[in-house]
Amino acid sequence: MQLYRLPHLLGLMAFALLVILLGVLLGSVNLPINAIYSVLTGQGSPLHNTLILDLRLPRVLAAFATGGLLATAGALMQVLLRNPLADPYVLGLSGGAAVAALLAMLAGLGVFWVSSAAFGGALFSTFLVFGLAYGSGQSSATRLLLTGVVVASGWGALISFLLATSQAHQLPGMLYWLMGDLSHAPSPVIPWLVLLAVLVLLIPLGRTLNVLARGALQAAALGVSVKKVELMIFGLAALLTAIAVTVAGSIGFVGLIVPHLMRMVFGYDQRILLPASALAGGSLLVLADTLARIVIAPQQLPVGVITAMLGVPVFLLLLYRSNR
Amino acid sequence: MHLTRFWVLLQFWVLSFAFTAAVLATPLKAAALTITDDTGQVLQLTQPAQRIISLSPHLTENLFAIGAGNLIVGAVEYSDYPEAAKNLPLVGGYDQLDVEGIVALQPDLIIAWHSGNPLPQIERLASLSIPVYFTEPRSFAAVSHELRQLGRLTGKEAQAEAAALAFEQGAEQLKAEYAQQRPVRVFYQVWEQPLMTLNGEHLISEGLSLCGGVNIFSDLNQLVPVISREVVLTKNPEVIMGGGMGEDTPAWLENWKKYPSLQAVQENKLYFIPPSLVQRPTPRFLQGTKIMCEKLQKARAN
Repeated sequence: MQLYRLPHLLGLMAFALLVILLGVLLGSVNLPINAIYSVLTGQGSPLHNTLILDLRLPRVLAAFATGGLLATAGALMQVLLRNPLADPYVLGLSGGAAVAALLAMLAGLGVFWVSSAAFGGALFSTFLVFGLAYGSGQSSATRLLLTGVVVASGWGALISFLLATSQAHQLPGMLYWLMGDLSHAPSPVIPWLVLLAVLVLLIPLGRTLNVLARGALQAAALGVSVKKVELMIFGLAALLTAIAVTVAGSIGFVGLIVPHLMRMVFGYDQRILLPASALAGGSLLVLADTLARIVIAPQQLPVGVITAMLGVPVFLLLLYRSNR
Repeated sequence: MHLTRFWVLLQFWVLSFAFTAAVLATPLKAAALTITDDTGQVLQLTQPAQRIISLSPHLTENLFAIGAGNLIVGAVEYSDYPEAAKNLPLVGGYDQLDVEGIVALQPDLIIAWHSGNPLPQIERLASLSIPVYFTEPRSFAAVSHELRQLGRLTGKEAQAEAAALAFEQGAEQLKAEYAQQRPVRVFYQVWEQPLMTLNGEHLISEGLSLCGGVNIFSDLNQLVPVISREVVLTKNPEVIMGGGMGEDTPAWLENWKKYPSLQAVQENKLYFIPPSLVQRPTPRFLQGTKIMCEKLQKARAN
């Protein structure tokens, strides 16, 4: 393990904490830093208590976990498909979730059912793609990718159909969901537990992942049981993404760019790359969500708008500089 | 050969000249009715409209209100009030019109909703020389104006005048009774996910001020902005009111009870307003306003 990367990782962790702090302090109403202290010691005003404990902290933590889940899932997908364009949604998972969630909204169901439908839709799409790609026996990354992309297009058509035929007053809710929005994120406990559990599970497997990232044949030659590991990666990535989509709708971009960014900074060792991706993805989403809350406050933007606006220039700059 | 071509051309010229002359002559014949719509466009009709297409549920409602419902030959989806409106032939949704269906109904007037209907489709219809009257009612005064204009368009001036007067007098009464009472700060919730309210230019906001209510978000720029929950907490309104998904599901209001620091929650001033009474600029809006006024009065008493 490349121990000399550890200071970088600690730096990233400090940055994550700073971003979380900012996310709690900033909003339509900016709080002084000692408000956090008095709220945590139980001496805050009722308004500050509600703002911090009921509204912002759960939201910021949910944002962090979601970003971490997406970035980790993206890193895994890139290993699995050995394709730099792979992201958590490339296999049609967000499309399945979106169709189910929009149907739940059309039926007038509440937040809980919309989230549950999204989770169900994501799992359904996963099994569909998996069954179609692996069902006939012979499998390859290309075949999986192609199946996923085509299924995703199918979901896309259904989404357009649902949007075109729904009532006007339901459109804002649907569009916000599709762009990714954290204002109705449920409790952040489950996403955090899953993220931590998966990271702990994956880090001992890092060497295997490193080998697999170089190619299925090489990995097989080195004694990796490729099919089993691929199955596991696929399953884990799908679970991570499904939970992320359940929390916040389909937030694009984080899962694609963050793993690439981290590869530029930390190199190719998955044992560093995966935790670094989780930290950076979480930080990016918290930062984006904080901006989404304050840019035109008190009006709100969906977070998906900001993630790309923040990430694209940073990524292009790094790509440009790494080329020289 | 050359000669025949010449004759064909000549016939064509003569015909097209005659046609042009005929077209030019038509408006001169008799413009019995000259009327300016809400976009400032001047419309000329030779006679009051007999076959009307109504491109918004609120227009259908207003046409029925002035006794011109029987002149509607086509309406858009969700034209559900009064009961008779539900039987009208549909020509698409207000945001997606069935242009061919409209043409096939041979209307002599299309009444359109300027900010709601898709302009390219309306222009297509106008290019087929079907007269289009645009409306954009955003205030109490605009509602009574619209009723009167619809009366002129359909030749039902007397009934329209009665409906407009009833609306104006009803509003005046509410104003006289409530506008000078103690001002009450109100958060009006339009939608739950995302959380949406309305600014001061919205008809509902005008209704609130008629009742002596003060919309806490009246100074925002967007007509129906998405806002954060926390800004509602800090503005701490005395009253929270709003509709819901259906006619009797005040579930959105229940959600606020999670925040006991709110004055509206402490004093139990969360009020449900039936959305069908306030979502359209029609005479029914007066009933909605009346309910808002009564709720605010209740809030003052507590």
